[in-house]
Amino acid sequence: MNNIKLAWKNLWRNRRRTLITAASVFFAVFFALFFRSLQLGSYDHMYKNAIESYSGYLQIQQEDWWNDKTIDNSFRYTDSLNERILDDKNVTGTIPRFESFALASSGPNTKGVMVLGIDPEKEQRLSKVKDKKVKFLLTAKAVEKICEDENLPQKTRDMADKVEGNAYSTVDRFLSDLSLDPGRRDEFLPILESYAGFQNGAIQKGEPGAWIGSGLSDYMELDIGDTLVLISQGYHGTTAAGKYEVKGLIKQPTPELDNKVVYLPVDIARQLFNADGMLTSIALDLKNTDDKAIRETSIRLSKVIPGSTRMIDWREMNEIMIQQMEADNKSGMIMIGILYLVIAFGVFGTVLMMTAERKREFGVLVAIGMQKTKLASIISLEMLYIGLLGILGGMLVGAIGITIGVSNPIVFKGEMALIFEEYGMEPKLVFAGVGTYFLWQSFIVGLMVLISIVHPVRKILGLEVVNALRA
Amino acid sequence: MKVLEIKEVHKIYNSSEVKVHAVNGISIDFEEGEFAAIVGPSGSGKTTLLNMIGGLDNPTEGKILVNNTDLSTLKSSDLIDFRMKNIGFVFQSYNLIPVLTAKENVEFIMNLQKRSKKERNERTMELLNAVGLGERAESRPAKLSGGQQQRVAVARALASKPKFILADEPTANLDSKSTETLLEIMEELNREEKITFIFSTHDNRVVKKARRVVTIEDGKVISDETR
Repeated sequence: MNNIKLAWKNLWRNRRRTLITAASVFFAVFFALFFRSLQLGSYDHMYKNAIESYSGYLQIQQEDWWNDKTIDNSFRYTDSLNERILDDKNVTGTIPRFESFALASSGPNTKGVMVLGIDPEKEQRLSKVKDKKVKFLLTAKAVEKICEDENLPQKTRDMADKVEGNAYSTVDRFLSDLSLDPGRRDEFLPILESYAGFQNGAIQKGEPGAWIGSGLSDYMELDIGDTLVLISQGYHGTTAAGKYEVKGLIKQPTPELDNKVVYLPVDIARQLFNADGMLTSIALDLKNTDDKAIRETSIRLSKVIPGSTRMIDWREMNEIMIQQMEADNKSGMIMIGILYLVIAFGVFGTVLMMTAERKREFGVLVAIGMQKTKLASIISLEMLYIGLLGILGGMLVGAIGITIGVSNPIVFKGEMALIFEEYGMEPKLVFAGVGTYFLWQSFIVGLMVLISIVHPVRKILGLEVVNALRA
Repeated sequence: MKVLEIKEVHKIYNSSEVKVHAVNGISIDFEEGEFAAIVGPSGSGKTTLLNMIGGLDNPTEGKILVNNTDLSTLKSSDLIDFRMKNIGFVFQSYNLIPVLTAKENVEFIMNLQKRSKKERNERTMELLNAVGLGERAESRPAKLSGGQQQRVAVARALASKPKFILADEPTANLDSKSTETLLEIMEELNREEKITFIFSTHDNRVVKKARRVVTIEDGKVISDETR
């Protein structure tokens, strides 16, 4: 019987101990992978949210704009500049923006808002503002009707009360918040649509009109057709004032933006701020968005844009968020480290116990002629088997769980969702797909197991047979 | 022919306050084919002497020669190999490997000796048949009685064709019937295979069967009687 077979057989003589040890390794790997996937997935999601809802991967700005966002730091946008940018092989589109701040007023309500002058068609290439238009709005009246409709499931009617005031740009989230079984979507969606369906108007070049964030509309008590007054300082100190009909509501995934954004057609925004022909930024739609491609595109475009402008990438535009995530990443790693430590002590405790329990057996084997090195290799193999069982099991179950999680992110609804939104986060936990972190976590746990082998190996190599036989 | 020579062997244990002279200048020889018992009261030094004979412990003074090889001259790993080839052990509490069947337990040492599968199989079955357990070859120790386990242990000790077998209180945990069976088997093997058996015991049933009885007291041989 060779070492491999004997070690395997030995594993199952104390089935419970083996399973408990393998289970501790399994859970270490599984939880490390699960939480790491959630953490990395959330970062990716937040980056994506920030990038796709606002900044884009790469922008052209007036050189002082980023540090001093006054419209005096805007730049002139010409067709020839646009053509030069579009000539770049990695640029598939330009998204012109005119961005400033204003005091918004409606009736007795006022609020500082971000005014974003956009080209709604071009914006579809990047932030897809049109897709974020509110499709359902649970006004008090809509909720009342839902609650009264006895044809609707009781759970949906109960939930409606809890999510009153919420706006939705997607059907899925709307139905999920109302706890409606997706299987009964066709049956009840038309009813719910008739109560809470929301119709938006369009904003387009040359026509005054505004889309506003759903959070802002809630705060300002603005509805479609209402008038929003904007007052600010225009280009080079002029007075900027204008009134605009609210044409639609936008549901931004980032609540911070949702509570303050006002979209105007870019030319209307320029008129408001007396800055004809000017832009504060041009966001770029890129073919390839990996870091290297972004860097190279930035270098190429730096050579063709006017001297008063500069290229700025998403990392610089989201510096604070990146720092926060790095800090969070570190704390996450510390948590995983603590998890490892707990598991390491668990594994080591089992190894200590096993070594002490089997001292006599080790003595007998050496007494009858087994070399200590051979015995040590058998015991090491036993520990490796336990480690492999736990690690491979953890990786397999982790991979299955994470793969399911990737296509089914955890979406919080109702009050839980509101708590997330209060902290400025989208109420959604997204998993990162299986990646290199998988190997790293498993490697670390594997290393832990290898370190735990040192103890029995040392004990065996230093074994005094007579003492062992007395154990 | 001498298989074992014990020359003026001492073993002193240094505990924190007192020195214990467990073996105090013992000199005895054993010839091939002997069936000998070392007897004496508890603490007389029987097990210590047996451990030193088996190369499990080192004498503080003196020499032990097995087939003219001085055990003290062997390195630790060579000593383990030497034990495997020359000395068989039977322990009081059997000490079989619980995950292996009776056959695998007997085969185990031959495996370590890297003998061919055919030879292993033949020798294992021969030994198991000799100890009356040919039909229980596939049973694990837990499925065997104490007496049966000790018989497997004897078969295991014989597997490597050792020069002699050291049995430390082999019958201490056995009932009368199992003791009788075991002793008969060992006597038969001793006669047929010419293997030297040395027991440490204070079991009169073993003493009665032994053809030589060495009595030890306070670490010294006080009588050496050949029957």
